[in-house]
Amino acid sequence: MLEYAEPVTKLIDEFKRLPGIGSKSAQRLAFHIMRLPEADVERLIDALQEVKRKIRLCSECNNLTDVDPCRFCSSPTRDRSIICVVEEPYNLVAIEKTRSYRGLYHVLHGSLSPVRGIGPEMLRLDNLLARLKPENNQGVKVKEVILATNPTTEGEATAIYLSHLLKPLGVRTTRIAMGMPVGSDLEYVDEVTMDKALANRHEI
Amino acid sequence: MLLESLEVHQFRNLSGKVFWHSNLNIIYGDNGQGKTNWLEAIYLLATSKSFRTSRPQETIRFGANLAFVRGRVRQSEAVSRDLQVTLQGNSKLLFVNGKKEQTSAYLGQLQVIAFTADELEVVRGAPEARRRFLDRGVLALHHAYIQTLADYNQVLRQKNRLLQEVAEGRLAVERARELLLPWNEQLAELGTEIHCARIDYVKRLNAVFEKKLFGREEVTIRYLSSLEGKGDLSDYRLLLTERLNLRLPAEIAAGCALVGPHRDDLEILFDGRDIRAYGSAGQQRSALILLDLAALSVYHSWCGEYPLFLIDDIDAELDRKRIGHLLEYLEGRTQTFITTSKADLIRGYSSDQQVALYEVKEGLIVPSSSEGVRAASQMEGVFRSLS
Ligand SMILES: [Zn+2]
Repeated sequence: MLEYAEPVTKLIDEFKRLPGIGSKSAQRLAFHIMRLPEADVERLIDALQEVKRKIRLCSECNNLTDVDPCRFCSSPTRDRSIICVVEEPYNLVAIEKTRSYRGLYHVLHGSLSPVRGIGPEMLRLDNLLARLKPENNQGVKVKEVILATNPTTEGEATAIYLSHLLKPLGVRTTRIAMGMPVGSDLEYVDEVTMDKALANRHEI
Repeated sequence: MLLESLEVHQFRNLSGKVFWHSNLNIIYGDNGQGKTNWLEAIYLLATSKSFRTSRPQETIRFGANLAFVRGRVRQSEAVSRDLQVTLQGNSKLLFVNGKKEQTSAYLGQLQVIAFTADELEVVRGAPEARRRFLDRGVLALHHAYIQTLADYNQVLRQKNRLLQEVAEGRLAVERARELLLPWNEQLAELGTEIHCARIDYVKRLNAVFEKKLFGREEVTIRYLSSLEGKGDLSDYRLLLTERLNLRLPAEIAAGCALVGPHRDDLEILFDGRDIRAYGSAGQQRSALILLDLAALSVYHSWCGEYPLFLIDDIDAELDRKRIGHLLEYLEGRTQTFITTSKADLIRGYSSDQQVALYEVKEGLIVPSSSEGVRAASQMEGVFRSLS
């Protein structure tokens, strides 16, 4: 027999599927939901559905966006001649917080890891190569690609792989400086460190 | 650094608190009473690991839900700290002065070098044990080396997976060459760091190595790179890169990484002959002690202080004369903890000012010499004046 009524069990099970949520947290969340006024629950449902309905990947840079192209790619004030490559959308946020980077981005949605079964074909690389042609970039020639993948062995492998791909195309390729805690994720790097890492980037 | 006291709770068959002598502590008792457990407790306090099991949770007394070891470590004249390792269920909690700390912040406050039965693998086992000995030594001097080692092993795992996929026919050879490139580049970079760190460490060991402490036979050590004889080792990075390219077909055929410092060794010779193949058990133990003494010296010349030295079952292979030489050498240098089941070894020291004797019976430890008791009460006085 189930410990809770069926709808409650169903909700707890759904919460348990989420990353970082164990049995206890799932239970706590479910009971919180049950105590909420109906209007609050409606708002939560709306938010969930809206994010699913409206958020997609930018066709140019693969960032999460509700308009295509995204705010960065369509902004007239961003420098289109420079592209910063990151692993995940939250890495982009870390760089954006420095307020010193004015170029465009490219989100790979992952990094190379044979152990986890992730090869180059699973990263979003095709539209990066396409963007290097001026005709696909509002007539602007890309002068530099900054590889800002994480300072982990996977991030480094991804950067090296990309540099071998980009160099023959004649575009300047740089790697952000590793003056940050090694093995850490860009997500946790503070703005000052990130700013320095960007400023001290080197040819790869 | 000095371990002033140790309190143990539900760790194996031990419980209770003991005050240690600053020079030599002899822990004796019949076999199976828990002598080695006391050394293991000190080792756990220093490294947060056991030298007997890779699962420290196994050391929680049967039926108990947690165990802890807590020790007071004198860092300098004026600074003492309480370190504590608590084992509970599957978790391990580390405390400094009662405050929970991350592993990286905890480690390094108490350094030990342990001479144990497992450690004998260094002189009679596979090269891996000798590489671990060197890496431990480097780590004690450079904490950041842990990241280099972790990254190198991670890169090896990724590379091996690709090679395996080729071997299983799931990846074309040409494509594999392309995909291996980023891992081989990192392997060259990290491998060079490891090679240079180990070479430098062996150089330091050699500078202080007491080749003939135990007799006429001469023990010599040398770092044995797996690339020796394959080209110019003075530009290791270049040579390693060349070998990685050259040996790629062989690696693909083997399905695993064949080139890099994970194939290196430490050569240990006893009068010019390989100690592993030709050394007697006694000679092997002597050679390991010499290595440990060199490691103590290297740490001292780098950090200005000695690690603790733990010697388990000192009389198993060393004769009285060698033990005498050893303890004489250590006096005034390290705070030493030895275990023995031989009563006659203790008799020689019962009136010595520089020694404290402890008898272990069913896990309980009792200072058994007047000196031991005196050391304990002096320490108690130190505590009072500090707290
Ligand atoms: Zn975009």
